[in-house]
Amino acid sequence: MSTATTSDPTSTSTTEEVRGAWRVVAEREISTRVREKSYVYSAVIMILGVVATVVLTSILGGRPTDYKVAVTDDASAAVVSAASTVVDRTDDGSTARPQQVASAAAAEKAVRDGDADAALIATDDGYEMVGKEEIDSTLSTALTTAGSTAALTANADRQGVDLAELQKGSAVSERLLDPADGDAGARQLAAYVFLILFYITAITFGMSIAQSVVQEKESRVVEILAAAVPIRAMLWGKIAGNTLLAFAQILLLAIAGIASLAATGETGLLTALGPAVGMYVVFFVLGFVALAGLWAVAGSLASRQEDLQSTTMPGQVLLFAPYIIAFSAGAGVKTVVSMLPIMSAMLMPSRMAEGGVPVWQIAVAVVVNVLGAIGIVRLAARLYERTLMRTERKIGFGEALRLSE
Amino acid sequence: MLDISSLSRSYDGTLVVDDVTFRVTPGRMTGFVGANGAGKTTTMRMILGVLAPTSGQVLWNGSPITTGQRRRIGYMPEERGLYPRMRVSDQLVFLARLHGVDRAEAARRARELLDHFDLGDRADDVLDTLSLGNQQRVQIAASLIHRPDALVLDEPFSGLDPVAVDAMASLLAKEAGDKPLLFSSHQLDLVERLCDDLVILSHGKVVAAGSVDELRGTGPDRYRVRLDGSDAAWIRGLRGIEVKDVDGGTALVDLDGITPSELLSQLVAKEPVAEFTRVRQPLSAIFREVNR
Repeated sequence: MSTATTSDPTSTSTTEEVRGAWRVVAEREISTRVREKSYVYSAVIMILGVVATVVLTSILGGRPTDYKVAVTDDASAAVVSAASTVVDRTDDGSTARPQQVASAAAAEKAVRDGDADAALIATDDGYEMVGKEEIDSTLSTALTTAGSTAALTANADRQGVDLAELQKGSAVSERLLDPADGDAGARQLAAYVFLILFYITAITFGMSIAQSVVQEKESRVVEILAAAVPIRAMLWGKIAGNTLLAFAQILLLAIAGIASLAATGETGLLTALGPAVGMYVVFFVLGFVALAGLWAVAGSLASRQEDLQSTTMPGQVLLFAPYIIAFSAGAGVKTVVSMLPIMSAMLMPSRMAEGGVPVWQIAVAVVVNVLGAIGIVRLAARLYERTLMRTERKIGFGEALRLSE
Repeated sequence: MLDISSLSRSYDGTLVVDDVTFRVTPGRMTGFVGANGAGKTTTMRMILGVLAPTSGQVLWNGSPITTGQRRRIGYMPEERGLYPRMRVSDQLVFLARLHGVDRAEAARRARELLDHFDLGDRADDVLDTLSLGNQQRVQIAASLIHRPDALVLDEPFSGLDPVAVDAMASLLAKEAGDKPLLFSSHQLDLVERLCDDLVILSHGKVVAAGSVDELRGTGPDRYRVRLDGSDAAWIRGLRGIEVKDVDGGTALVDLDGITPSELLSQLVAKEPVAEFTRVRQPLSAIFREVNR
């Protein structure tokens, strides 16, 4: 044991020790958490959930279709080939391919057996489309258009009519003032997935902050900690450690989402959602930091694990409210709430996923969240300092606010 | 040197620590005794800064103690507590690092302390798998892990068996060395055996403070006399003494105006004396007296 430290206890290392303490606390938070199996499992399940959602949506949604149409002669085959360009009007890569069969009966059999999506059979007055239970409307429209155009062209040629001249002025084009997004459904789904993942991740790591605090109170180790480091350092450490973990999880989820969008060839959706995903991660961190303060206070107000149910209520409400609002409130309410602190962290990226959010609103949401996080964490630090050492009973938020230092 | 200067603390208007002043001298073990609720724990918490005093201050080497200096005190709170689900060595290293000790040094120190308590093979066990006595040993190791400049230990010996008490006492003597060491205890025999200085607290006030020798010397000059004969009753007739008790050839007397040698010569003149001993007041008597 060195006597040097006794004679000079004011050595500079002392202040540095105190300053770095939050990092040691954060490290413990992280190392304790990642060793828990439940933590690893829940993260893996959520990542798999995101991948499964993207893949399923892709399968059920806009996957290119390859229509097979049974035909008995070359003229019909030509019609089907012409229909292929119409089928692909939405640029999703869908095609229609003729499938030569020997007879009309064979064509019907192919349809009945499911070998062909439909059959196109030449009749005396044109063509007949044969389907099993129904004919896909895209295919039906395409075949009808292609069939009548082919007949019209043939007739015009036979009568020496200039078809182009005949059709002059008959073109009707379409112009939408507010075009519906082809990915609207997928975007809507993404918005909800954003909300749900935010909610689950924020609750999981929020609760783990509160539990970690109350555990220290319950086990009474808090007195040793308070004698070793400033109480605030413990708070910073907990917020930093758990925010980092929650951030890592959200980042992994975002990467999993983007990677599976790319892998399933949903490049259109990827371009549309990309910025929203990016902002989602940013908003998550801002919202989580603000909430982390509240969770820590929830822990320091409690004296036992059972008290957490009531002391974590404000945090739970703040997380659940945006969830309810997103599903039930009107556009006006959503717009306003998506610019309030904490709640906007959840709602804004969700609205961005749906599309059409003015940039100024996003900017307001970011600024409000930064300010909110700073304000809430500062208040939380005061409450935390006042209540942490009171281990004998549960304290209410109101009481904590009135407590003197 | 640790000085407690006029420290007071009240809870909701009730004074639980009332103008407490005493000194913890380096190199001397200072015992802190008092009945339950006398204010020992509250005083210790204020020394550590875990609790703010209502008034008064704590001085380190003569000037008000700084936060940094407080962090250099080894503290064992009355309410024991470590992380129940954390490995023994991990939590010692964690606590050391909170105090700014680097990881390698912390691990070395943890090993050294655990070895002292024969707990080296339990280093990787989760704390709550250890017996209560062993958890107590880990607790004391936790207070020593950062090689503190002073020690403040609240009931460090409670719950330990006599062998463990000896191990703990020898460790404390070694670790404290020339540093101030204050520990509270209600085991007076232990305090008597281990302490150099004593502070007795009663209802929040210091009722006695000083070296153990001084305190025990504050009682009357009492002597135990054993005569060769079988009946010492006759000494009741001697002047200048107050006979407290006679039992066969043995008597307990308080000197009242004469010197020990005067008494002895009076005794020897009558009968051979087999034993003549100064009786030191046991601590428990002092304790009872000041707590009356």
